[in-house]
Amino acid sequence: MCIPHGTMSLKRKKGDFLIPFLNRREFLLYSFATSAVFITNGCEVNGITTPLETLSQVQKDLFPKSKTLGINTQHYMRIVLNHPRIDDKTKTFLKNSVAWLNESAYERYQKKYILLNDEHRQKLLHQISTTQWGERWIYKLLSFGFEAMLGDPVYGANINEAGWRWLKFEGGRPRPKKAYL
Amino acid sequence: MIYDVCIIGSGAGGAPIAYELSRAGFRVVVLEKGEYYTEDDFDKDELAVTRRDKFTPPLWEQKHIIHEYKKNGSFMRYDGEEYNWSFWNGSLVGGSSNLMSGYFHRMKPDDFRLRSVYGAIEGANVIDWAISYEELEPYYDKVEKVIGVSGQVVKHTYQEPRSSKDFPYPPLKENKVAQWFDTACFDLGYTPIPTPRAILPYNAQERNGCYYSNFCGSYGCASGAKGSARAALLQKCNAKIIANAFVYKLQSDAKRVTKAYYYSRYGLSHSIEAKMFVVAAQPIESVRLLLNSKNKHYPNGLANSSGELGKNLIFSAGGSGSGRFVFEKLSKKQQKELMEIGVFFNRSLQEWYEYQHNGTTRKGGTIDFLFEHQNIISRVNSEIYDDEGRLIWGEALEKKIYKNITQSRVLTFEVFNDWLPTDLCSIGVDESVQDKFGVNVGLINLYGHPHDLEVGEFLAQKAVGVLEKMGAVDISYSISSAPSPNLVAGGCRFGYDAKTSVLDKNCKAHDVENLYVSDASFMPTGGSVPYTWTIYANSFRVADVIKKELAKEEI
Repeated sequence: MCIPHGTMSLKRKKGDFLIPFLNRREFLLYSFATSAVFITNGCEVNGITTPLETLSQVQKDLFPKSKTLGINTQHYMRIVLNHPRIDDKTKTFLKNSVAWLNESAYERYQKKYILLNDEHRQKLLHQISTTQWGERWIYKLLSFGFEAMLGDPVYGANINEAGWRWLKFEGGRPRPKKAYL
Repeated sequence: MIYDVCIIGSGAGGAPIAYELSRAGFRVVVLEKGEYYTEDDFDKDELAVTRRDKFTPPLWEQKHIIHEYKKNGSFMRYDGEEYNWSFWNGSLVGGSSNLMSGYFHRMKPDDFRLRSVYGAIEGANVIDWAISYEELEPYYDKVEKVIGVSGQVVKHTYQEPRSSKDFPYPPLKENKVAQWFDTACFDLGYTPIPTPRAILPYNAQERNGCYYSNFCGSYGCASGAKGSARAALLQKCNAKIIANAFVYKLQSDAKRVTKAYYYSRYGLSHSIEAKMFVVAAQPIESVRLLLNSKNKHYPNGLANSSGELGKNLIFSAGGSGSGRFVFEKLSKKQQKELMEIGVFFNRSLQEWYEYQHNGTTRKGGTIDFLFEHQNIISRVNSEIYDDEGRLIWGEALEKKIYKNITQSRVLTFEVFNDWLPTDLCSIGVDESVQDKFGVNVGLINLYGHPHDLEVGEFLAQKAVGVLEKMGAVDISYSISSAPSPNLVAGGCRFGYDAKTSVLDKNCKAHDVENLYVSDASFMPTGGSVPYTWTIYANSFRVADVIKKELAKEEI
């Protein structure tokens, strides 16, 4: 039976789109990461989420150390989702996988991923990690999470070199003066 | 304006000619597809350089089509963009020499006569070179002095003859673990070789010395110590360099090239006229350009009356491996030595440059040892799977990363042996696929001869023995026929017979009076070493030939 969900998500989305943007680049940066992902069960829309809110939660679940180090992974994922040197295929895969994860969440727990408790989120991650897309997606999210944590602080995620200090790593010299975007 | 020489490609194959001829007073123009970066532009941004591939074109704009062949002639077709399979090595002034590690080895005298010394191998097109080691030796020597090679000559079985007693520059500073390596090798009866590097250990040649940044290979050098074609040559001559100039066609009549056409950054077409043209865009792109320059005089591609253009593409065969040194097995002093960063490892073995196999003498190769690259993101990424190949995350992954990164260090090795030339390994163009300029893309036909794997396996096992002797754990290696895109040669073989080779012994096209190819395309076989030193040396040799030809024209 198809049960409609996600009214609250719809309202929040509307609010997101009302945020004023300073310029086109900023708009583009914001729009991909926050654009709606429709969660369906094949016949009806179960809910709506954004790539960024799900990605952010999954990355916290995959590597909580990042959060304790104060890494701004969410900021970095905005960069990833809009980077001109990351191909559209990868960006689409990241976004589609958000939908697939949430579809799995609805199928198993009748809730979207971010509303699940810790135990259920972990069980779901283990479940999808046995699928080809799930394994690839988790690898990519871990990998982008490590880019946030261990990339040069100029990208705005590895704040105060917290990731480097954790691993006693010294960045190479000279350091970049600006991020490559 | 008509230039004396127009060079297509600014890397190790083209820059020596630009340097020599412009310093001799000739008007030289260099057309380079990539940007012009200098020392001031180079930083150690792992995200930009190795994760976002700042120095190579995006595959959705420029790619290759790859046909991977099996022995029976069947093949799998791969679209480089779709499979994220890149054969670009560095589109910038100075080419990929900016990004090399600079492990410099000369080829050995017997590498120049592979067929005569080691005999034919079924299914492989092994031939002798058109020149001898003795003819190239003065240019190897010149590279040591002009590009700047540091190291120490040690006596060993396969040490090649040298006209200079030692390298012009002493070895770079080394990590103490290199001494552990030496001890292990001596115990095993092997001769460790301090790896020569194209890196200045101190300020010289109007360049700054190495500052031990800890990020050498894959990165541009911010001091100019690395002997890139840009730092060592192009910045020290007055050749005109046009960056962002993608040459898509050479115009010719029956005897001579008349113009090079290129697209600028904005897609506008321009042309250059010159007396001599030199193609040095790395083998795959050089062959692509010649094939795409076909005309009524050369319907099968410029300089291709032999039908040999694009044939006998080679890479470097072999593979790589590693072992880990863990704190648990080391004293406090050793732990400290192990974790010292910046300084180099710099050791090689050429103990098995040839070896006995079933009663016959077989060509072997070189093993270079080096610390795992300091790139922290890729090191951490390599921890994502456990020993059983399962993804891990959370606390388990956190602990694994912390332990392996802060309490151990990985020593790697790279095996270099001959990639035998075969009929199935070649370069063409795919007329059904175009790049962003609308030009047919290069088609790479790949095939690795089984013999290459046997030799690579033999050498890898020897390297494993050294790592075991040193006390490393988690030792593993991979030998495969996967090509190394930065070690590519062949496709325009040189030789005496115009029916069986594209170039003459001086790397001039047999068919065309004023066309030279001076990158690694000329090489019929590759030796069992990285190619850069040989490419540089040969380009200096070709420069001398062109200089004489131009002098004749002036008379």
